[in-house]
Amino acid sequence: MNKQVRIKINGSDYLMYDEITVLNACRNAGIKIPTLCYLEGVSQRASCGLCVVEIKGAKSLMRACVTNIREGIEIFTNTKRVRQARKTNLELLLANHPRNCLQCNKNMKCELQSMADELDVRECNYPNIRKKKVPVDNSSHSLFRDHEKCILCARCVEVCSQVQTVDAIEIAGRGMDAHVTTFFDRGLGNSECVNCGQCLLVCPTGALMARSEIDSVWKEIDDPDKFVIIQTAPAIRAAIGEEFGFPPGTGTTVRLAAALRKMNFDRVFDTQFTADLTIVEEGNELIERIKMGGTLPMITSCSPGWIRFAEEFYPGVLDHISSCKSPQQMFGAIAKTYYARKLNMDPRKISVISVMPCTAKKFEARRSEMTSAYEYWEKELKLKEKDRFPDVDYVLTTREMADMIKEAGVDYANISGERFDSPLGISTGAATIFGTTGGVMEAAVRTAYFELTGSELPKLDLEEVRGLKGVKQASLDINGKKINVAVSHGLSNAREIIREIKKGKSPYHSIEIMTCPGGCIGGGGQPIPADYEILKKRMEALYREDREMQVRQSHDNPAVKELYESFLDKPLGKLSHSLLHTKYTKRGIYS
Amino acid sequence: MNPKTASKIDGIIKKYSQGHGRLLGMLEEIQRENPHNYLPEDTLAYVARKTCIPYAKIYGVVTFYSFFNLIPQGDHCISICRGTACHTKGSKKILDYLRNNYDFEGEDTNDAKLFLTTRDRKITLRSVACFGQCALAPVVEVDGEIYGNMTVDGLKKIIEKF
Repeated sequence: MNKQVRIKINGSDYLMYDEITVLNACRNAGIKIPTLCYLEGVSQRASCGLCVVEIKGAKSLMRACVTNIREGIEIFTNTKRVRQARKTNLELLLANHPRNCLQCNKNMKCELQSMADELDVRECNYPNIRKKKVPVDNSSHSLFRDHEKCILCARCVEVCSQVQTVDAIEIAGRGMDAHVTTFFDRGLGNSECVNCGQCLLVCPTGALMARSEIDSVWKEIDDPDKFVIIQTAPAIRAAIGEEFGFPPGTGTTVRLAAALRKMNFDRVFDTQFTADLTIVEEGNELIERIKMGGTLPMITSCSPGWIRFAEEFYPGVLDHISSCKSPQQMFGAIAKTYYARKLNMDPRKISVISVMPCTAKKFEARRSEMTSAYEYWEKELKLKEKDRFPDVDYVLTTREMADMIKEAGVDYANISGERFDSPLGISTGAATIFGTTGGVMEAAVRTAYFELTGSELPKLDLEEVRGLKGVKQASLDINGKKINVAVSHGLSNAREIIREIKKGKSPYHSIEIMTCPGGCIGGGGQPIPADYEILKKRMEALYREDREMQVRQSHDNPAVKELYESFLDKPLGKLSHSLLHTKYTKRGIYS
Repeated sequence: MNPKTASKIDGIIKKYSQGHGRLLGMLEEIQRENPHNYLPEDTLAYVARKTCIPYAKIYGVVTFYSFFNLIPQGDHCISICRGTACHTKGSKKILDYLRNNYDFEGEDTNDAKLFLTTRDRKITLRSVACFGQCALAPVVEVDGEIYGNMTVDGLKKIIEKF
């Protein structure tokens, strides 16, 4: 343990552990220090200049985020000089920031805006000089960057590098030319960016946003000839309440279903249905790989950021990834084939919209191979290449959906709950926990145990893979065979696991990899902020819902059983293969 | 990239295989090896791949230091001082002479931050804020050599020898 030192903050004495920053010392003492660029454990660029404090004996003001405390240090956080310097620094940031806050996507949710309010900046003493105009980056299907709103805090750069180890962006140029960009300004869509959107979760302004598909979705809803189906991912129900003022961790599943129905979607379905389907397919794939000596360990494939990451950085491990499509894509394919038949409807009239906690899902839906329903109908309906349609038409983030619910005038707080529609809205507790790190593995174990032994797991909760530890592991005894599993979230943790595989030293049979810290509950499409305390609460909400479900195992989902009986035949069967499985592409974008 | 260039770059990377800040020296030498004194995109992508330094990080470095060129440079480089002393002593006249008599490409808008190369890649023209040699104004640097009290005629003579 570090030694303790005596320090003074604003005249009061404190005893604190050495080697912490002035910022943390002040926070420990209950004193708020304003910051716009600092991110605990991730970023200490000291670029915003708002955390300045006065330290006795120091000539100039010091930045609290990068100054450590020491024995006898005397800190002043509330002197005239400090207050004025903070104001000046903020005014300088505002001097080259656009003034159209009312139209900004981040209006009322912007850290820069609330900071201006907190520091009581009521006028700007500097002329509004705009930086050299760098064109907006709209090259990505998932993310959108407006350089004009960027304050160069570099949080996005640090998150991309430290948390995700993708390193797609950096500050290029200097002075008035400085801007956050990709290699040779190619744009995020032409870079190694995996579309996870962790950058936009930490952006203090509206400079980084998800590509909005709200207008397109309204158009679909308003089109009387379209049959519009909405599917919502597990992690939405544990988080969307936050957008309507509910405390984090409030599960609002039934409200969500009711709200979506009020918005005139023709069917309100649940991606959890295909999460259960994924477990059945993927569980059988794993068993087949174990029995037939296939490539092991097998890695999950539901997280599109991870898929893009593997394609870019680890093309050598693509064989390890389950060939199962993600639940979103399975849903699109099933809705436009199986369900279209049930409705006796031309699949071209059906529009599938998803609500996802994820920005990478927007990219996933546009992958050229995700048109299985078209291929299914091609002969029967005599379709030509020009008719090719995607399995999933549009993808909304949790935040976009909340915006639409508000715009539609639906009173989310006072709405009475409803259920999802049948049959593609029927799901189990196993599917609910897909939304959190460890959930897919836990759901898979429940089903794999049954498939291998013919009996149910004595205890359904797999505590070892729960929680927010970066890499989690568990060993299970199934029919006398030891099965090792691992779970990781955040791509820096994924690298650890993949290195073992590349060395041929991986002890695991099955691995769950999620792109975002916390899994989908911490996805780039989720309500902001999404710090660890909030993630824990969202996680609890999903486990609570799982416990309360009557059916908690994917293979017991009656609608999935019916799907196999009347349409797919059997897991890993011919139709399953063409509709529910996919292939991956080696990328290496700059090579 | 052709194998000869690649092996040359490999050799340079090897020399700088260790230590913090190795990227600067490495890129400096690679740029010098380039016949047009610049760092093409494919060269930098190659360096990123070989060194496992992120692509964007390398781009950040080469756009930060004005020493690095991302566009081909002329065979000869003329830098003209645009500081106050040189301006009053007629550096603008020298600048305009070059501008009007050679076929430069690129955006020619800002006297203080000029960076142009002729279409035939013979001459690169740059403006410099100050050489710190104001007593010799106007000052011009040609291929690394500093010339004081420069005139249009004097510069013409130097260029004739190119």
